[in-house]
Order: sequence, then structure tokens, then C-alpha cells
Amino acid sequence: MTKHEAKIPFRLLWVFLRRGNRWTLILIIFLMSVAFINMIFVPTLFDGVIKAADDQVVDMSTGHILMLPESGQNQIADAEKAVEQLRSIPGVVGVSSGLALPTTLEYNNIRGNWQIIAIDPDNERMVTKIFEHMIEGSYLREHDLFSIIIGRQIAGGEDVENNAFSFKDAEVGDTVKVSFDGFSEDFKIGGIFYSKFIDTDQKAFITRDVLDKVVPALAGEANRIIVRLDEDVSVESIVNKISAADIDGIAYSWEDAVGLMKSVTKSFVSINILMTLVASLIAAVTIFIVIYIDVSSKRKQIGILRAIGVKPSLIVWSYIFQAIVYALSGILFGTALYFAALVPYFSAFPFVLPIGDARLAFDAVGYVIRLETFIFVSIGAGLIPVLFITRIKLLNAIWGR
Amino acid sequence: MAELLVSIQNITKTYDVGEVKIRALRGVSFDVHEGDFLIIRGRNGSGKSTLLRQIGLLDKPNSGEILLEEKKVTHMKEEERRICRLMKIGYIFQEYALIAELTALENILLPALMLEPKKSCEKRAKNLLREFGLEKRMNNLPQQLSGGEQQKVAIARALINNPIIIFADEPTANLDTVAARDVLETFKRLNIEQRYTIVMITHEPEEEKYANRILMLSDGKIV
Repeated sequence: MTKHEAKIPFRLLWVFLRRGNRWTLILIIFLMSVAFINMIFVPTLFDGVIKAADDQVVDMSTGHILMLPESGQNQIADAEKAVEQLRSIPGVVGVSSGLALPTTLEYNNIRGNWQIIAIDPDNERMVTKIFEHMIEGSYLREHDLFSIIIGRQIAGGEDVENNAFSFKDAEVGDTVKVSFDGFSEDFKIGGIFYSKFIDTDQKAFITRDVLDKVVPALAGEANRIIVRLDEDVSVESIVNKISAADIDGIAYSWEDAVGLMKSVTKSFVSINILMTLVASLIAAVTIFIVIYIDVSSKRKQIGILRAIGVKPSLIVWSYIFQAIVYALSGILFGTALYFAALVPYFSAFPFVLPIGDARLAFDAVGYVIRLETFIFVSIGAGLIPVLFITRIKLLNAIWGR
Repeated sequence: MAELLVSIQNITKTYDVGEVKIRALRGVSFDVHEGDFLIIRGRNGSGKSTLLRQIGLLDKPNSGEILLEEKKVTHMKEEERRICRLMKIGYIFQEYALIAELTALENILLPALMLEPKKSCEKRAKNLLREFGLEKRMNNLPQQLSGGEQQKVAIARALINNPIIIFADEPTANLDTVAARDVLETFKRLNIEQRYTIVMITHEPEEEKYANRILMLSDGKIV
């Protein structure tokens, strides 16, 4: 191909885009944009659901690492020492020990079995974010006595999922009788939290101070320690460090600790892969139809170009470039629409799921893969009809048959 | 004796239309010499356009041979036929066949850009436009030109690479009387003043006066 020949596809592309039907061009770019949004929206929505589930586990339940007693033990042998050892590990930003107890709670003649956890509120704030999700009252303070905070699923209310098995609209200031292991005491509801993580919303919290005061035998005992790490620290590497160090208890990553969530996440990942494939297929078919119709409608034009002696390869290149321009325009406008409209919308109005609020989670690597796929499919969609038209009988091409 | 440019030797062409076979050409033979202005005339369906498409290398006959400057072109590979169409043949279609998105100047330039840079052929294209009285229309798109002007642009495009022969397929069929006469006068001038060899088909008897040779085609045969 000579230098002046090589310019021909670009010249043709330029005039076809500049002087072709403007509304057709706008429609094609619009359809390409929609096809690209389809390719990125569904996967990022599922990524958002997965991220919401993962974040909820970390923020509302286990932190990044959950320490439980050694096999056969009920408590972590020397919890205070373990907490100090964990705090000394680089990358650890918060450690909170707690004693989870199976209790019976009684309110207005409604009795039920729920788990309460005795915690040090200041330490707990360093690990979980339940304190940010108080819908009534306030979070526990360091030396609160006989104050209890309960999850929304315990407090109940008309629009609460487990209302049938709740206190049916308990409020801050009401009294709840807490009974466990022969001990029974009245607590005032100091706050109600709604983490949107159903497992956490079925729990209640009291301070370590009040437990130590009413049941001195349990003072200093803990059966769970939760750990928060810096965001850029590998959870597995810290779990390995803890396991290798002489620290009481067994360390689990948050993924291993909440096995159910792990399987939910796994299922979502599988669904996401499937949906990505389906979305890619739909996008591919859309792109193919759009470009195929566009190129096929120019059959006569291609025939004339062939008849006057323009090299078929140059004709093919001009339509490939045209398909690339369509694809890039679709990517550009689709991405702009995604970030300017969809992301802000779903940030303001997320999907409300029992595991948490799902927003769109943008993944740069996935985006690049989808972008490449989109361009690749567009080239194929442009190439196939133009190859066909440059190979059919010249007269059929000229006559548009 | 003028040089032999094209020799058509006993060519046949049959089209399959469903189960029906239409014998469009039934052994046509004739020669075209340098400087000829040959008009092939015949009624609709006589096979004129089919014949021109075979000689213009837009289609292949079922049998027979076409020689262009004594070289057999009938069974050449498509790439060689393309080069022949580009460099040796100027083909003018009945319906102009201009690219709608290109201006008059760009349409004329397109075949030349396959062979040389724009700089070297642009002046030639503009000269052709001037010669045909279209210099003020060079930046107009085909849809902004009249039928006669579009056909002149198509003629200029056919001439841009200095072909050895021009084939014109009923170039006046879609034109009014004035525009048709203008186009025919243009052909005549190209033939007389610039010694272009022209093969034109028509079904209008009154156009015969522009030619120096006439062939009659009937039912796929020269009569």
C-alpha cells in the first residue's frame, strides 16, 4: 500500500462521518452508547452488591479478622494480652474484644432469645461502624451502666423483616429485662441501630463495665476479638502473622469467619460472570446489528468504489475505521452517561438489600476488558458485512443486491 | 490503420433467473480501434448493457474472449481486472454512480488518488471541471447538481486517469433533451479534439449522428 493509498480510508471515513446523514449518525452513536452502558452497568451493579455484602461483614460484624477461642475452649485464655499483641502488629488500626452471651430478653411480656455482646464502646468504634447507624438514641458510652442498644430486628416495627419475632416497636427509654445463666437485670434501651446487615441487627450490645459489675466472675473474659486493618493491608498476610505468633485464639479472615456470606459472595461472583457474558452478548448483537445495517445500506456505494478501481482492502479499512469511531463514540458517551447520571443516581438511591445498600462499584480492570471487547466486537461487526460486499459479484454490489 | 484497442471474440452471457435461463449475449464479436466513437444501439433487452459490462470488466462472460491492447482480460484475476478498470478504462454509468458524500471535485479525484498524491492530480481534476463548465460547482455534493452536471462529473471522473477507452452505458437516459445534447457534444469533443476512444450504448436513433461507427444489437447478436 502506497502512502497516498493509505490516506484514502481516512479521507473516506472523514467525509462519510461529516457529510453522511446526521440523524443516522446520532442514532448509531446513541445505540452504541446504550450498548456500552449495558456492558458496564450490570457487572458494576453486581460488583456493587458483592462489595456491599463484603463491606457489611467487615463494618458491621467481624472487622477484617475475627479471633475465636481455641478448639474446645469457651474463652480466649488471656484476652487482654492477645489484644495488646494484636495492636502491636503493623497494619492493625483497631482491636476490640467482647464477650458474646446467649440471653433471654423480655419486653412488654414478649420474650425471646437473642445474643448480646459486652464490649468496650471506644475500642468497638475503632473496628465496626455500627455507631454510625443509630436510628434512635445513641451508641454506648465508655462507662454506661444498665444501658443496652438493640438492633432494629429486635426492636421491631411495621416495616421490619422479623417484626413477628421482635419487641414490636420498642423505643429508646423503654426497659428490657436481660436474663442469662441465672442472672437477671433490667436495662434501659439507650439506642436502636439499623446496620442493614440482618445478622447484626438481631444482636444487642451492653458495656463491658456493666457486665463486670453484675457478673464479676466474667470480668476480663472474652470469646471474640475483632480486628480492623489498614485498607491496603492484605488480610491473609496478617492472619498468617497472627497464626505464626504466640497469640491465644484462632484467627479467621472475615471471609472465612462468615461462611454464609462467603457462599453468597461466591454465588454473586458466578452470577456476575454469567450476567457479564449475557450483557456482552446483548451488546455484541446490538453493535453487530447497528453496524451491519449501516454497512449493508452502503452496499451500492461500496460497489461503485470497487467499480472505479478503489482497492477492496482500502474500502474494508475505511469501514473498519468507521466501526472503531462508532465504538469509541459509544464508549465515550456511554462512560460519560454512566458517571454523570447512573453513578450519582445509584449513590443517592441505592438498591436496598437485606445484606446492605448496593451501589455501582466501578472496576477499572473490568472496564478496560469490556472496552476492548466492545471495540473488538465493533470491528467484527463492521468487517463481516464489508468483507462480504467486497467479495460478492461487482454488479450485485453496484445494484445493491 | 488505427491501432486495435479492444477485440471482442464470440462472447456469450447467460443469466439464470430462477429456473429460466436468459441468453443475453449469443456470440458477439467486434473490434474497437483507437479514435473510434462507437455507438451500440438496440432496443431494451437486446443485451447492450450486458455487453458493455463484459467489456468494461464489471462482469465475466460465460465464453469467448476479450482482448484489451491485445492482452486477454477475460479470465484475469480480480485484482488485475481492478487495475485495468483503474488505469485503462473510464466507465460511465447510466445513473451517474457518484459517491453521495463526496463533492464534485472529490468524486473526480478519487480514482486518481489510487495512483498519485493529491497535489499532483488536483490541478488536473480542476482543469476537467473547468473544461466541462463546472468550476463553480466543484465543492457541491452530487445532490446539489443537476442530472446533466452529475453526468459531466461522472465523465470527468472517468477521464481523470487518462484511460485508453471510455465506456458509456446509456449516459443520456436520465437526462432532459438539452442536458443530453450537452453530454453528447462533450463526448464528441473528447473524441475529435482529444482523440478519446468511446464506446457508448443507447436506444435513441437520433444519437447515432455523434458516432463514427454504429453497431446494432438485437437478441444478443450483432445484426
